[in-house]
Amino acid sequence: MAVQSDASTVSDAAGPYDRARALSAFKVGDVTFYWITRLSAISVLLILGGIILSLIVGAWPAMKEYGFEFLWTRRWAPSADPPVLGALGPIYGTLVSSFIAMLIAIPVGLGIAIFLTELCPQWLRRPIGIAVELLAGIPSIIYGMWGFFVLGPFLAYTFQPFMISLCANIPILRDIFAGPPSYLSLFNASLILAIMVLPFITSISVDVFKTVPPVLKEAAYGVGCTTWEVVRSVVIPYTRVGVIGGVMLALGRALGETMAVTFIIGNSFRISSSIFAPGTTISAAIASEFQESDGLHQSALILLGLLLFVLTFFVLAAARLMLLRLEAKAGK
Amino acid sequence: MTDMSVSVSSPAGAIPNKSLPDAPAKVTVRNLNFYYGDHHALKNINLSLGTNRVTAFIGPSGCGKSTLLRIFNRMYDLYPGQRAEGQLMLDKTDILDPKLDLNLLRARVGMVFQKPTPFPMTIYENIAFGIRLYEKISKSEMDDRVEKALRGGALWNEVKDKLNASGLSLSGGQQQRLCIARTVAVRPEVILFDEPCSALDPISTAKVEELIQELSENYTIAIVTHNMQQAARVSDKTAFMYLGELIEFDDTSKIFTSPSDRRTQDYITGRFG
Repeated sequence: MAVQSDASTVSDAAGPYDRARALSAFKVGDVTFYWITRLSAISVLLILGGIILSLIVGAWPAMKEYGFEFLWTRRWAPSADPPVLGALGPIYGTLVSSFIAMLIAIPVGLGIAIFLTELCPQWLRRPIGIAVELLAGIPSIIYGMWGFFVLGPFLAYTFQPFMISLCANIPILRDIFAGPPSYLSLFNASLILAIMVLPFITSISVDVFKTVPPVLKEAAYGVGCTTWEVVRSVVIPYTRVGVIGGVMLALGRALGETMAVTFIIGNSFRISSSIFAPGTTISAAIASEFQESDGLHQSALILLGLLLFVLTFFVLAAARLMLLRLEAKAGK
Repeated sequence: MTDMSVSVSSPAGAIPNKSLPDAPAKVTVRNLNFYYGDHHALKNINLSLGTNRVTAFIGPSGCGKSTLLRIFNRMYDLYPGQRAEGQLMLDKTDILDPKLDLNLLRARVGMVFQKPTPFPMTIYENIAFGIRLYEKISKSEMDDRVEKALRGGALWNEVKDKLNASGLSLSGGQQQRLCIARTVAVRPEVILFDEPCSALDPISTAKVEELIQELSENYTIAIVTHNMQQAARVSDKTAFMYLGELIEFDDTSKIFTSPSDRRTQDYITGRFG
């Protein structure tokens, strides 16, 4: 009965009535949606804060014990009594291996990107593009094994002797390449890192190079620029923000990369002037020692993790500053 | 000079001219065909650009006028699958010669585009950049050249106090005049304008048109435009193109008052296009 009477009033009342109901339903959906997205966004802050907090809590005993001296103590002797723990070795290894990796990866990565976008014949574009993407998809442990079994012997028995003979009489370089041959070395890790971050630099650079309006490039060609001049004076300045972003992303990856590096860097806390000597990085040190650690030793490893966190933060901050400077210089 | 020209450039000389004495041909196009892959975009074009004259190219969209312009400085070369056949001479230089140095060609044949294209650098550098590609000159000479170019682009008074600001900070009209100044700075012989005012407001358009007139005293100019009043205002000769063919090429006054081809008349009276 009730159903019937409802049906009879549908013709005139249905429109506004249904609309109001639909609206209120939408409103509930809207509010829910608002809160879901808001909570998602807030969760990022919570997770970040939580990680920092737990790192600080975990690192507290070591911080109390060693203070700032932790940063420049070279000795790492967890089994001494009392244990002497200093982070200079891992910090040095992290910075140097990342620096060498970027030194290699930036020019090569940009070179590939420039070739792909400006010079490459159409038929070669896809194969190279796919190869670069595949490079990014290789699991890092495979890089580690390859570095150990292939790159290591080559570096130790072919490349290092060659560099030693080449630089025998050059004061500083002589020390950089000196030392007994070793599969496991800082340089080996740097090379592997360079290969690992290469796809980041390349694919981001390719993407941003493609955003350069064709007419802008034509204008540069139109005043008589060569391809090199177009790339250097128009394409790269136009896309510098994006390129630097890609480089920083790659640097972040290099600083934190663990598995491959742990495999081939040698995990030696000694700081050597030679890049062919074994070393360690912050992440490699944590990965290789965390399982067997306890007490102060473990706390020191957590403190190392906190340092890596801070280091990465500073890299990003430096990138921001650099961009601001560049923009000021370009007269914006 | 005019006496010489009539005998030298017979194709241009064959066309009666009322307003200005005929100029010797700077660029001569003979039996030019152009292909985008399989698409035959330009069919058997014959014409010439008179020295220090303004030649306008009009026609409906897709008729090939911009394509033709882009052959004059071999811009199409940047893209695979595009090719031109026929003869195209800049004075005695064969523009279509595959061995031609394109950078030098583009220094002789400058181009201004539809949208303003300032480079991502300061106003000063925008001008100096092109000059530096060809000449090593001192700072003070460079300052002179930049000032001269900016004056040439009718922009000097507006930017002289902010030469170190980014070229991108200028208004659209100023940017376009900066691009013209940049083109003039490398001292080309021919300047190609590809719808230079289509992104500009009327006042900026008027300035650019005035500038084109001034530039024609020293440069040979080709301009593609959709605006027929503009063609009538700035050009000495007008070419009407339709579907890849050159329908009519004559003095601007004649094209706009008594065109000899039916299609030209239809177009300029707004019946299609």
